[in-house]
Amino acid sequence: RPNRRQAAGRGGARARGRGKKPASDDDDEEEEDEDDAPKRRRGANNKKPTKKRGGGDDDDDSEDEAPKKKRGGAANKKRGGKGKAQDSDEEDSDAGKGKRGKKGGGKKGGKEEEDSKGKKGDAKGKDKGKDKGKDKDNDKDKKKKKKKDDSSSDSNTNSDEEEESLSEGEMAALMEEVEEKKKLIATIRNKPWRMKRRLFHLKEAQQFVDKFEGALGKGKGRKWYAYKVMMTKKWIKFQRDFENFRTACIPWERKIKEVESHFGSSVASYFIFLRWMYGMNLVLFGFTFGLVVMPEVLMGLPYGSIPRKTVPRAEQDTAQDYSVLMDFNGYCKYSVLFYGYYNNQRTIGLLQFRLPLSYLMVGIGSFGYSLMVVIRTMAKNADVGGGDGEEGEFTFAWKMFTSWDYLIGNAETADNKYASITTSFKESIVDEQENQKDENIHLRRFLRVLANVLITCSLGGSGYLIYFVVKRSQEFANRDDLSWYEKNELELIMSLLGLVCPPLFETFAELEDYHPRIALKWQLGRIFALFLGNLYTFLFALFDEVNTKLEEEQSIKNASIWAMKEYYANFTVMINDTLVTPPPMPPADVIRGPCWETAVGIEFVKLTVSDIQVTYLTILIGDFARAVIVRFLNYCWCWDLEAGFPSYGEFDISGNVLGLVFNQGMIWMGAFYAPGLVGINLLRLLSSMYYQCWAVMATNVPHERVFKASKSNNFYMGLLLLILFLSLLPVVYTIMTLPPSFDCGPFSGKVKMFDVIMETIDLDLPAFLGTLFSYAANPGLIIPAVLLMVLAIYYLNSVSEAYKNSNTELKKKMQMARDEEKNRRNNTDSTNQVMKDLEDLLPNRSLAPPPEAKPTKTKPGSAGKGVNLQKDVALASPNPNARGPVRQPPGPRGPGPGPGAGPGRGRGRGPPPR
Amino acid sequence: MGSRASTLLREEEIEEIKKETGFSHSQITRLYSRFTSLDKGENGTLSREDFQRIPELAINPLGDRIINAFFPEGEDQVNFRGFMRTLAHFRPIEDNEKNKNAVVSEPLNSRTNKLLFAFRLYDLDRDDKISRDELLQVLRMMVGVNISDEQLGSIADRTIQEADTNGDNSISFNEFIKVLEKVDVEQKMSIRFLH
Repeated sequence: RPNRRQAAGRGGARARGRGKKPASDDDDEEEEDEDDAPKRRRGANNKKPTKKRGGGDDDDDSEDEAPKKKRGGAANKKRGGKGKAQDSDEEDSDAGKGKRGKKGGGKKGGKEEEDSKGKKGDAKGKDKGKDKGKDKDNDKDKKKKKKKDDSSSDSNTNSDEEEESLSEGEMAALMEEVEEKKKLIATIRNKPWRMKRRLFHLKEAQQFVDKFEGALGKGKGRKWYAYKVMMTKKWIKFQRDFENFRTACIPWERKIKEVESHFGSSVASYFIFLRWMYGMNLVLFGFTFGLVVMPEVLMGLPYGSIPRKTVPRAEQDTAQDYSVLMDFNGYCKYSVLFYGYYNNQRTIGLLQFRLPLSYLMVGIGSFGYSLMVVIRTMAKNADVGGGDGEEGEFTFAWKMFTSWDYLIGNAETADNKYASITTSFKESIVDEQENQKDENIHLRRFLRVLANVLITCSLGGSGYLIYFVVKRSQEFANRDDLSWYEKNELELIMSLLGLVCPPLFETFAELEDYHPRIALKWQLGRIFALFLGNLYTFLFALFDEVNTKLEEEQSIKNASIWAMKEYYANFTVMINDTLVTPPPMPPADVIRGPCWETAVGIEFVKLTVSDIQVTYLTILIGDFARAVIVRFLNYCWCWDLEAGFPSYGEFDISGNVLGLVFNQGMIWMGAFYAPGLVGINLLRLLSSMYYQCWAVMATNVPHERVFKASKSNNFYMGLLLLILFLSLLPVVYTIMTLPPSFDCGPFSGKVKMFDVIMETIDLDLPAFLGTLFSYAANPGLIIPAVLLMVLAIYYLNSVSEAYKNSNTELKKKMQMARDEEKNRRNNTDSTNQVMKDLEDLLPNRSLAPPPEAKPTKTKPGSAGKGVNLQKDVALASPNPNARGPVRQPPGPRGPGPGPGAGPGRGRGRGPPPR
Repeated sequence: MGSRASTLLREEEIEEIKKETGFSHSQITRLYSRFTSLDKGENGTLSREDFQRIPELAINPLGDRIINAFFPEGEDQVNFRGFMRTLAHFRPIEDNEKNKNAVVSEPLNSRTNKLLFAFRLYDLDRDDKISRDELLQVLRMMVGVNISDEQLGSIADRTIQEADTNGDNSISFNEFIKVLEKVDVEQKMSIRFLH
């Protein structure tokens, strides 16, 4: 039905449009138009009674003429050179025309034949006459052009006959026409035409030139054109393939989407974070592996050549035991995994690779890279977050109308899509409920403050507990008579805290009653603070160990030198010949220092591995076993296990994210002392991706309140940045202040690790650079530089603040404008009858669309109800602003200067759309 | 390709379809061979069952509505011409066509027609308005039993509230256009038919 109405409307519009035109047209055309107009009207009349289909056909008849004419013309001209036509499309249509022309059957075919006959007959006027008789409309322009080009088209048509056989002449004609068009383009400014017509001709001429210039340009141009067309097609196809390829290349995209469709974007955000971490660790691994591990393995001395690369004699018996290897002692300890294995040779291999320098640079560079990546990602995410302003305007409508993907043809994908649509609806519902919650603000505030006080108390309590236990353990360290509990007190307390506190916090968080998304952030922050205690104790213990090792080292160093001397002395005594150089001491027998760097590295690796084990076991027992039990014991149990007490587990977002973050902190801290740690972590992340994806799909149930994750997971990134900074501190501290071990690692024999850089500057770089660096290291330069940086940060910060402010201001304004528009529409409908009647009396009534306006007048009551109904709807509008203005009376415009003018204006400007 | 199919299709017919829908010659022959392969009854028309054999339509919650769109009112067979006319809604808008739009009357694949097509999918009773009940029906098809009826109702209410500008508690075509103003319908409701 609307189709027909529209068609008629269109016809009418066209007629009106045409009706206006002749005023500016040439005399001749005026005639034509007058001739055409009644016919068109008749056509429009005809349309009304015909059925929908008929209407369509009618439309076609009238519409078709113009393109056909054009195409027909093109075909005529090209007929001779059909074989040479380059564009495949063109060829198609040509072929069609040609065949049809020959067949000559059917109504239209006949028409076409007449057409071509007319042309062949070389009678311009006759041709036009026929057209006039036949055409209903729309080819007016074509004719106009023909007449204008009279001279040229005469020659065109003259040469038509020859074109049948001669492609040369046809080409010449086409070329001439192209030239003509070009001239038209050049001179169109001077034509006394209306702008609309000018534009039309300009466009047409340009299209024509574009199409044919290359096709039949000078011999070479033709080939070039063909080549160009082919290449464009190839290029488009390549782009499409590349795009597909790129999408396919995003790792685990399908997996994550699947999880997202069932568990919502919040759970998916964890996996996206995991994937991001994997990418970053891949780069870190590339650095360490390519610049440190591989050179040492390929170009350094082999295993067993020097003491630091050999298992000591005393340990050799047990070096291959499983338990020893699992503790990363034995062969593991003296392998490329750890700091101690690396030699302090300044350059290795043919390439003169400076391994110690590279080691230090990679250590610092991985921190630099991580910092850069984290901050860049945060900045980018922040960008995304502020990008779109129309959030919340048509949330539900868009979900309703556009969520289904019509190209899904696979039943499983369809299931996922169903799930994801449902989930996204649920997410929006949660958001809406949160928005429209009308609450007792004072109670809520009180509860929130209370919860925060409670949590601060428990955090402080656990912090003191940790401090107390650490103190005690230091006392214990000096005693021997320790019970099992006293030995493991620290670890026990730590894990107990880790077990008890998170659920406790969650309980407190219930009091606050935040939106789950915000609640998650709070939860993350609190557990993070708790775990910081963990980190602190760990580092504390570690530094204790390092300090004792450093003390120990001094005596061992003397012992080892003494042993070496004794060995050589004994040797000379035994052989009794000073001329023979003694064979070096077997590396396994040399007395070693404790090598605190390797010890630290081992500590971190052990921690990481045990963390992996614990995480995986927790999933296996806590989620999988629970799910199995609940699922299968449910058949023979007194109550409903699935719905009742144990139920299935939910995916613990906060715990998993924090696990990941702290794990990464361990990697950053440990990577300097154990280059192999990055590789281990890579394996962990990879396996955890598959394992957790499986676990979450197989054993977990979606959260009770599925909520939408914030678009940017900047909160995770912020935690990561904090951890990065915290782990940067101890590493830099050790590099800058502690002396490296004397007999292991790439920096052995130096006073400080960073002496490697000094050495490189002195030995490898030109002298003036050395002085330059010494100037640059001057405090007098550094302090101003730091000051400058601080100032720059301050400036940039305030600038960004200002931008943010103006941004929010703009957003607010946009929202207000939208609301106002909406309200105005609503109000015009619901204003009282008197206003409407007044308005009807206004002279400018003709501006308002008469048929559309009518129904609104008849039911102001229902319209008013519509406005009221907004409050009844369970999901209220997204922000209170949107609802606010509606409650006001028609607003500032209603009781304006004149009661009539106001609504009249409003009507004219924005008629209520129907 | 499709040479066998094109012999069954008369050239004039192709020409007419070409004009009506804007498909190219080879596209028409290709789609004709598809048409005949769908046509299990081999009588030159497609029935609803024929359409339901297409997996994309079978699993689509709105599949029935889409299939309905192929059939003129009151008929349950569609011939190739009608088939093509419906498909033409999904033809991408080409650049050179955009310019012509002002002169030639609207082709089937214009933005408005694409939107109208989508609108009809939701307008079950063809009264040119999407009412709350119609939305509810569509919602049930889309999310099934996973969300309670009450919530579905409020979703539908909310949708109408968002889109409705004149307060008649239903979504008219103009309001529909307004809602999808920022959606790239030209792109989304286009199928890249092979040339």
